[in-house]
Formats: sequence, structure tokens, C-alpha cells
Amino acid sequence: MSTFSKMIPSFIAQKVAPVLFGLTAVLSLNAQAKEPLKIGYSDWPGWVAWEVAIEKQWFKEAGVDVKFEWFDYLASMDAYAAGQLDAVAMTNGDMLVTGSSGAKSVAIIINDFSNGNDMIVAKPGITKVEQLKGKKIGVEIGFVGHLLLLNALEKVGLKESDVTLINVPTNETAQVLASGDVDAIVAWQPNSGQALEQVAGSTAIYSSADEPGLIYDVLAVSPSSLASRKDEWKKVAQVWYKTVDYINDPKTQPDALKIMSARVGLKPAQYAPLLKGTKLVSLDEAKTIFKKTDTFSSLYGSSKASDDFNIKYKVYSQPEVLDTYIDSSITDSL
Amino acid sequence: MPSSQKNVKPWFAVREPLSQKRATCLTFLSFLMPILIWSAFSYLPFLWHPKVEITQPGSVTWLQPGTLIDKAIFKEQQILAEKNNTALPEGKPANPVYLPAPHEVVVAFYTAFTTEPKRRSEQWLHESLWHSVTIVFWGFFISTLIGVPLGILCGTYSVFNKLFEPFIEFFRYLPAPAFGALAVAILGIYDGPKIAIIFIGTFFQQVLVVANTTRKLDIALLEAALTLGAKNINLLFRVVIPGILPNLFKDLRILLGWAWTYLIVAELIGTSSGITWFITQQARYKNFENVFAAIIMIGIIGLLSDLILATMGKRLFAWENSRGKIA
Repeated sequence: MSTFSKMIPSFIAQKVAPVLFGLTAVLSLNAQAKEPLKIGYSDWPGWVAWEVAIEKQWFKEAGVDVKFEWFDYLASMDAYAAGQLDAVAMTNGDMLVTGSSGAKSVAIIINDFSNGNDMIVAKPGITKVEQLKGKKIGVEIGFVGHLLLLNALEKVGLKESDVTLINVPTNETAQVLASGDVDAIVAWQPNSGQALEQVAGSTAIYSSADEPGLIYDVLAVSPSSLASRKDEWKKVAQVWYKTVDYINDPKTQPDALKIMSARVGLKPAQYAPLLKGTKLVSLDEAKTIFKKTDTFSSLYGSSKASDDFNIKYKVYSQPEVLDTYIDSSITDSL
Repeated sequence: MPSSQKNVKPWFAVREPLSQKRATCLTFLSFLMPILIWSAFSYLPFLWHPKVEITQPGSVTWLQPGTLIDKAIFKEQQILAEKNNTALPEGKPANPVYLPAPHEVVVAFYTAFTTEPKRRSEQWLHESLWHSVTIVFWGFFISTLIGVPLGILCGTYSVFNKLFEPFIEFFRYLPAPAFGALAVAILGIYDGPKIAIIFIGTFFQQVLVVANTTRKLDIALLEAALTLGAKNINLLFRVVIPGILPNLFKDLRILLGWAWTYLIVAELIGTSSGITWFITQQARYKNFENVFAAIIMIGIIGLLSDLILATMGKRLFAWENSRGKIA
């Protein structure tokens, strides 16, 4: 009984107070500048890569106080949009979508681009994109898989109206292809790999390796945090490009794989193919990608394509001003 | 009962309690039946097993040992290989990956607890589980702290009934998970929004259930108390509350189970944590034996806590059981 009554004051301090006065707590939090930089990340090889730097304590070494929070991807964007994070790991397309609804952000680091992890998987018998004409394709309409499909069709001179799209959540695509209701699906790892595994004889007829740069993954930082704590973000960027070198170096890659696979609960050998489909970009490569051109080899060109796509599918109605979303100054200064 | 009659009670007697031996036997059976069905589907190759697990790919280049394929496709490939006079693929019947066999789940259950955390920030599984338990506890505790007094007031006085219940009736239809994004915006990304979801999921039902229980209190008790001159506060604390206590305790047991069912949605909000983190992560990579193991863990925790509460209830409200009710 006495321990219980002792618990009550601490209970009020720890649990009830935040619940009741959460709003004031959040408001006062903004006023404190000593808080660590809070970064949300989720299950994608290019972001799991941060885990290497965390495990090796490179942030501490660099003298920057950061706190990484692991989320489900959608939950991470929600938390960012709610103003609970200083930065979040997103694709460049989702950065525009999140920004269009009010939560603007600035890409200061390019983590990677999908290099084969996103695929169009077709059932046995279909081996070329041309053969998709008149066929049914399962895809999550309005998301990156859809963008990849349009890109593939365009390349062989087909239009969207030449195929029938079936709206399927990406994490169910493998089962849908296996059911035989569609002739092909579009998905990213690990779903694309499962589709290939579950439907024997199926092949990946097109992948993001055929159009590198269609989807970039970036660290999207809140403009206010970037403005007030730019020096700290620069240190974060330094640590990131050091991490990329560590992962890409064949000598240290096994160690990196061990750390990354542990984050998602796989064995290193199981994780190796997922990493292979993701091209982590080094500092020099990132500098090139930050240059402004209108091809997919530039973050601008890729984001422009996403912007056009988002407007065409009425994800939002006004084009976004891309210059406000991309800031290469930190990467360029390294 | 005349002693000449055989002293064997029938199995099917309406509202008659069973002998202790029979009751234990049936309880055991109620767990054994699903396990037996599960085992049958897992271990008898002629039962279901819609897939074939390849043991020898033979001449079929795209097959690998361990691949699961549909029976029909496997037959096709066998016929094809036979026609071409090449090596036949071999395989054994298998279930889809989402139905692991009982022994696989048992192994997964054990290894989940014994696997050491590999990363600095990682937790042992029992720590994650404990975190989930605390989330449920606080959500339920805060809800009870407000919900029970409010429910008793609503059940006793029409003023409170009319003042609160119509709105609560409206609010209880709103799905708790719908408040996820809002909870994150207000309470941050850690435990706050998770506790809030469990609170929202439990509180509104709790007020109504408690109010209802209060209303069921025998009116004769209240009339007698009033006749003897009991006033408002006295009536509430010396008659109403003691009168409903045994049923209130039962309500809370049921409502605690209710709070548990919101755990998974609650923990998906904000940072990934607790047992939900384990379940979603394992499901994403199709390690269903781990998913089953985790679901069973939740079941065991729920069952154990309910058993403890039921035993407590029997001790606390001994007079309730002496009426020969079916527990």
C-alpha cells in the first residue's frame, strides 16, 4: 500500500501531466533550443543505413546531439507533419505531397536512389513491357509504383489507357499476383521479392534500375530547424557521407550489413539483396545529383516528374515551388 | 435424493454446475481442441497442404530447393519434364507460409525471448512486452480513475445521466484509431498518444457499462436506506457503491480485456515500440511463426491477468459465490 501511494505523485508527474497538459508541453518545447535534433526514419535500406552511424556512435564523435526515432513510414510522415520531428526520411515525391498540405521541408542530404528494388513483376509468359498491352496490372494508384509503371509504358510507346489498372495496396501485391487475377504487379522490396518468390516462373520485366533516379530518398529537414541550427545539420551530413563510404567499402560492408539487418530483424545474408537494389550515393555523386537539370539524374528533374504526376492524379492541385524544397549548400560545402 | 438412485449427474443439465473434475477436464479440452485441429492441418500431409515444397529441382531451372509453389504448377512441371525425358522435380506437400506448424511456433516463442539484443538501442523481448503492459495499464488506469465515478453518478442521479450520457453515447461510436494523428500532434510521439488511444477506446464504454451496472442495483435496497433516513452522500457511499462492488469488479475485468484489444493500433501510432513493433516487423518479412508466438504471448498475459483478477474477486466478494452461481 505504501509503495502504491508513493507511486502516485510520480505517476502524476510522468503520465497524467503530459496527457492533460500535452499541448502546453509541446508549445514550451519549441522554445527550448537544447533539445537534440529529432529525426524520424523507417524500414528502407537507404534509411536503415543511419543505424550504422548510430551504432558506431559517430554522431557523438562529431559533436552533434541527434535522436533517431523508428517509425512505420506513414506514421513518420504524420509525426513530421504534426511538428514532432526536426527531420524525416522520405522519398522526394512524398516530400512534395507532405509539403503541399502544409508541412514544408528541405532536402539537404540525398541518401540513395532505388536501383532495382522497385519492380514490375509479371506472371510466367510475359517477359517484356510491350506484352503488357491490354493486360491487367495491380498497382497502388497515385504512389511511386504507379509512377514507375507509367515510366515503363512510356518507354515502349504505350499509354496508360492501353492497360487496365487495378488498385492494390503494395503490401498485398504478392498475394494478388499469386491469385492470378492480374497479369502483373508493381511493388518495391520486400514485396516485389516475395512476388517473385511466391509466383514461380514470374519475372521482373522492368525495375527502377532501368530508370535510376526516378525515386530519390532524402533527409527532409524542417525549414525552421535548418535555419536556426545549420551548423548541427552540417555535422549530420558529414556523418552521413562517412556512413555511406563505410557501407559501400567491400572491406567494411559485412560489418555494416550485420548492424543493418539487426535493425529490421533479418540475417545479414537475407539483407544483402535488399541493399544491392538500393544505390547509396557518395558525397561526390550527391553533389552531381544536386545539380539542376531536367533529367532523372538530377534531384530537380526527378522531383519535377513527381510534381507533374501528383498534379495529374490530383494528389494536390497547384505545382510546388521545387527550389524551396532542395538545398544543396550543406552537401556542396563538404 | 433417494440413495438408491445412481449418483451420476447428467452432462447436459440446464444451469447446473458441473463437478470439479468434469469442469477441469472441459477447460483442458477447450485449449486442446484448437491445438489438435492446428496440428492436424500441419502434420497430416493429406489434409489441405495446397503447396509443394521443392526438395529436388530436377531439370526445372527456375526452381530452387525450399521454394513453395502451387500443387497445380508443380504437376505441370512434372508432366513437362516427363515428356522431355529430363530429370523430374521432387517435392513434398506444404502449407502456405502464413500457417507455421505448432513446433515451429514453440521454437520461435523460445528463441524470441532468448535472442540477445544486437543493437545498442534494442530491447530484450520481455522488456518490449513489459512496455506494452505499462501502456495498457496507464490507459486503463486513467480511464478508470474518471470513468468509474462518472458511471456511478450517471447510474444513480438522472441529472448526471441526462447531462453526460447522450454525448458519451455519440462519442463511443467514433473509432479510437481515428484519433491517432491528432493524438500525435498534441501529445508527441512517445507513450502519450498510445495511452490516449487506449483511454479513448475504453473510457466511453466504461462510463456506460458502469452506469448500467449501477442502475441494476436492487431498488428495494435504496428505498430501505431512504426510509431509514440516508442522505445523498451517505446513500452513495454506504449503499450504492458497496451494493454494486462485486459487479463493478466483473465489469472492470471485462473492460481491461477491452483495453488490451486497442494495444496494437495504439502502438502503431508514433514511434514503433512494444510487442507491436515485434509483430509488424516480423510480419513484414513474413516470419509468421514469430507473429504467432507474439500473439500467443499477448493471449497468455491476458489470460493470466484475468485469472488473477478472478481469484481476487472470489476472495474479495466471497458472499457473491455462496449463492451457487455459475462462475
